[in-house]
Amino acid sequence: MADIEVKDGVDDETVAAVARLSGKYKYGWNTEIETEFAPLGVNPDIVRLISAKNEEPEWMTEWRLSAFARWEKMTEPTWAMVDYPQIDFQSIYYYARPKSMLVKPKSLDDVDPKLLATYKRLGIPLKEQAILAGVEMPEEERRVAVDAVFDSVSVGTTFREELKKAGVIFCSISEAIREYPELVRKYLGSVVPATDNFYATLNSAVFSDGSFVYVPPGVRCPMELSTYFRINAENTGQFERTLIIADKGSYVSYLEGCTAPKRDTAQLHAAVVEIILEEDAEVKYSTVQNWYPGDEEGKGGIYNFVTKRADCRGDRSKVSWTQVETGSAITWKYPSCILRGDDTQGEFYSIAIANNMQQADTGTKMVHLGKRTKSRIVSKGISAGKAQNTYRGLVSMHPKAKDSRNYTQCDSLLIGDKCGAHTVPYIEVRNNSSRVEHEATTSKVDDDQLFYCRSRGMDEEEAVALVVNGFCREVLQELPMEFAMEAQQLVAISLEGSVG
Amino acid sequence: MLEIKGLKVKLEEEDKQILKGVDLTVETGKVHAIMGPNGSGKSTLSYVLSGRDGYEVTGGTATMDGVDLLALEPEERAAAGLFLAFQYPVEIPGVGNMTFLRTAVNAQRKARGEAELSAGDFLKVVRERAKALKIDADMLKRPVNVGFSGGEKKRNEILQMAMLEPRMCILDETDSGLDVDAMKLVADGVNALRAEGRSFLVITHYQRLLDHITPDVVHIMADGRIIRTGGPDLALEVEKNGYADILAETA
Amino acid sequence: MALAKRTTDPALAALELPQGGAWASEARQAARARLAEMGLPGRRDEYWRYTDPTTLISTDPTPAKVGEADDIFAGTNALRLVFVDGVFDADASDGLDESGVEILQLADVTAKDIHWVKEFYGVLEAAGQVPVARPLAALNTATATQGAVIRATGKVSRPVHLIYLRRDETAEAVMHHVVRIEPGADLTLLESGAGAARLSTVMEVDVAEGAAFHHVRLQGRDHERRAATHCFARVAADARFKSFTLTLNGAMTRNETVLTLKGDGGVAHVAGAVVGDGDDFHQDDTVFVTHDAVGCESRQVFKKVLRNGATGVFQGKILVKPGAQKTDGYQISQSLLLDDDSRFLAKPELEIYADDVACSHGSTSGAIDDTALFYLRSRGVPERTATMLLTLAFLAESLAEIDDPALAEELRDRLEGWLARHH
Repeated sequence: MADIEVKDGVDDETVAAVARLSGKYKYGWNTEIETEFAPLGVNPDIVRLISAKNEEPEWMTEWRLSAFARWEKMTEPTWAMVDYPQIDFQSIYYYARPKSMLVKPKSLDDVDPKLLATYKRLGIPLKEQAILAGVEMPEEERRVAVDAVFDSVSVGTTFREELKKAGVIFCSISEAIREYPELVRKYLGSVVPATDNFYATLNSAVFSDGSFVYVPPGVRCPMELSTYFRINAENTGQFERTLIIADKGSYVSYLEGCTAPKRDTAQLHAAVVEIILEEDAEVKYSTVQNWYPGDEEGKGGIYNFVTKRADCRGDRSKVSWTQVETGSAITWKYPSCILRGDDTQGEFYSIAIANNMQQADTGTKMVHLGKRTKSRIVSKGISAGKAQNTYRGLVSMHPKAKDSRNYTQCDSLLIGDKCGAHTVPYIEVRNNSSRVEHEATTSKVDDDQLFYCRSRGMDEEEAVALVVNGFCREVLQELPMEFAMEAQQLVAISLEGSVG
Repeated sequence: MLEIKGLKVKLEEEDKQILKGVDLTVETGKVHAIMGPNGSGKSTLSYVLSGRDGYEVTGGTATMDGVDLLALEPEERAAAGLFLAFQYPVEIPGVGNMTFLRTAVNAQRKARGEAELSAGDFLKVVRERAKALKIDADMLKRPVNVGFSGGEKKRNEILQMAMLEPRMCILDETDSGLDVDAMKLVADGVNALRAEGRSFLVITHYQRLLDHITPDVVHIMADGRIIRTGGPDLALEVEKNGYADILAETA
Repeated sequence: MALAKRTTDPALAALELPQGGAWASEARQAARARLAEMGLPGRRDEYWRYTDPTTLISTDPTPAKVGEADDIFAGTNALRLVFVDGVFDADASDGLDESGVEILQLADVTAKDIHWVKEFYGVLEAAGQVPVARPLAALNTATATQGAVIRATGKVSRPVHLIYLRRDETAEAVMHHVVRIEPGADLTLLESGAGAARLSTVMEVDVAEGAAFHHVRLQGRDHERRAATHCFARVAADARFKSFTLTLNGAMTRNETVLTLKGDGGVAHVAGAVVGDGDDFHQDDTVFVTHDAVGCESRQVFKKVLRNGATGVFQGKILVKPGAQKTDGYQISQSLLLDDDSRFLAKPELEIYADDVACSHGSTSGAIDDTALFYLRSRGVPERTATMLLTLAFLAESLAEIDDPALAEELRDRLEGWLARHH
């Protein structure tokens, strides 16, 4: 046994975390709350209604309507390796909000206690005094400002005053459209145009809420910012829009989490995230996506069609995407980096786990336009059950992107012989001073490692979770600490029932 | 043999002066050692002399037997008899060690107007010299430095030196990463060549290599200049007291 | 094959077919129906995004200057079959009686009402149309009248060499070869020559149990010629398939290789070395390897050296079907760009439905390694020689896929000569 080792990086902490785990999808309960819906389906009137509900200015309504007109002429893309029944876009509610939110609460104290209870149950520290459980560190450092989005509306944003002192604007996008129209108008749609793709265009027409962040020049955001998305109402689509602007020399770390109740019918989620980075700015965007994945037969679950893109406009700016994708029935998501400025950097760290009947098609695009730009892609895909998991990525070196670099590592792990793991990279090199390296491997969970763990007393499921956590280590360590713990546990939960 | 006068060098990419006026003369048949703390410019000197890209000479001269080295291409410097044993020998996948050696030997012979060595003669000489350095047939067959241990790489450098028979050899931190046995092998290789009247410039951080290759002259380099020159005793002084005293003295 | 810009399906369905015996007519009609279904390739097709098919499907081929005939493999004792502008030339060819192998002309066997070839002609091609359509291959099957039909029954003592000569500046050649290697048999097939201003070849290879097939091809000479080649192979249990192609010239080359490992323990290697010079050089390797049996090994090794605006494309896939356990799949695609105008476009894919597998791919692109270049120069090797040495070293892994050392040496010499000329 002496020469068999547990994969690098699996430490005691992981073992402990894995040992604590129990239960299936933890977030599958529903909040009984009175909800106001817009009429079923989508048409220009619904678009106008959403715009009116948010008390938007005329230009915003027009922007939405032109996106809608465009969307009507578009067809759903079919190139991804995902297979799902035709979505009837007219049988979805495009707007749902808790009735208690009809009158905008003036402070968190006015928010419906049921909503607060929901977020509390999800473990989200909505109240300023909330303390994140289990992590011992000085209070100053562990605070996270949260914007919570419940179905179509933002229910509250924490720490706003303190952020304001630092000059950071963090609020719901609906509020930003009203309060900071000049910023929104300048940047909205400038990274993901309203015409970008089928889902992004639909989002442009019907997005109801989301988060807005502006970090002024030279400011290092004093705390982590976070948005928590919850789809609660049945047959409801969630179309949130996030806009992050990091002005010259600023820094912000942004976290995003998502859950939804268990329901038998699939629900649509089509979000757009745009990040703008000016000179020397740095943004770290982390996602733990734990939408309801559907049951073991593939019934229900979230169809997650997301467009995320960062534009490194300013020289020397840097963006880093880290994602842990464990939920959703269908995942269609390619957080991308446009490396436009010279010496800009883009990173993409991803763990995608697909179990049972889940299908994930996810990856990134690194578009190198500026000189001496650098990108790094580390993707860890895990397939179990009857799931299909695809990495799809593009690395493009334009003729002017001299002396640029890309390194890509894509590893896939298969658990069981009924699932699939696929790698579809596109590599386009149009100058010779840039160096592009791509490596990919596909293999199964190492039997020796499993046996070693089991011989030390772990059951098979624990052993698999442990080895898989080791396999994912490189990505997990990119996450902020609060998320890393949660992500480790999620990895284990997501793989339940995948062995034996 | 080698004459360096007021050599000033900066990095091409960033505006950073590395050598700030180096004066050094190595006579025929002599062994000079350059010692100095990290970042003093020792390796830069070796690269500039052998013609690596990325450095800009902003002043001074470097000649070998009166020929302006700085005006020559790297291969011309090699043909003129200059050899650099790299601190980090380069791995070249796909190029066999033998092919590499034969191409280099014959290219230099051709540049000097000599006839190329026949395959048979070449093989005979390589085997004999490889044997002395404990380089086996397998190492000769493998691609250049690929999968070689640190010691194997350094021995391979000395084998190249033995084959190319340069007149002026620069050893850049040849002792780094070597155990005692490997160091002995390398030193024996160098001493054998020294016996034939070659000149050496031995760049090293530590004194230990100089136990095996006794220098005639020792220079201390710091911040891009030679700050002290002396006999072999100077190396022992450094070994005993470190660089701090000498640096303080000249500061 | 006058297509008369017929890119619409009804026009393809009405494509005129050559006369032939019952089985041949049936095979050609089926191919025509497949083609009508797929339509001709266009830039919007996923596997044509990096290569513009226009010049391969235009009504008439662009004229191409006729260069000197290639004398590659002249020193090899091979049985020579000569095709001039795509038509078999019996006088220029060797006698076809050879022990261990039966060699016939496609024109002769298609005239017959029944022939063993019917089990293969268009059959492997049709199987290779799923999941990726290859319309140019179906077009070839529908319209070809020339080609070699080769059946190896034992260990064939010398290679069979297909030599494609050119005379006419505007000729279009469509050749379709069928190769069957019977159980335990062993054959080496060589191909060389530009063939025509526009060349379309399909080779269907069936390698039976325990048999071995070696294929070495040179696509050199004639800068202006255009070619679309397809190789469809089925590899049975414990059989070996090895194919290597060196591409040196040509305005447009699209080489598609579609391999299926059908029996346990099969081995399939496909490799290519490409050296391209100039912005009118476009070369594309599109490879699809399917593992449909247990314990098979596949390797794809492609190396491209590009300069002066040349374009290299690699699209390679390893598909491991459910149940194809113990698969060992390897794929490497690398390009060395010698200047800033050249381009490398790659899509190396893995699609895997079995868990007990070890599959990997790697792809790199970049300039020559400065450090290695300096190291060589510091040892006295002139820059030009050093560059050539490093370029050859870069290509070595693909050349190593040729089993016969004499053939490998000959191609290496050819490469060296090319590199010396194109400096």
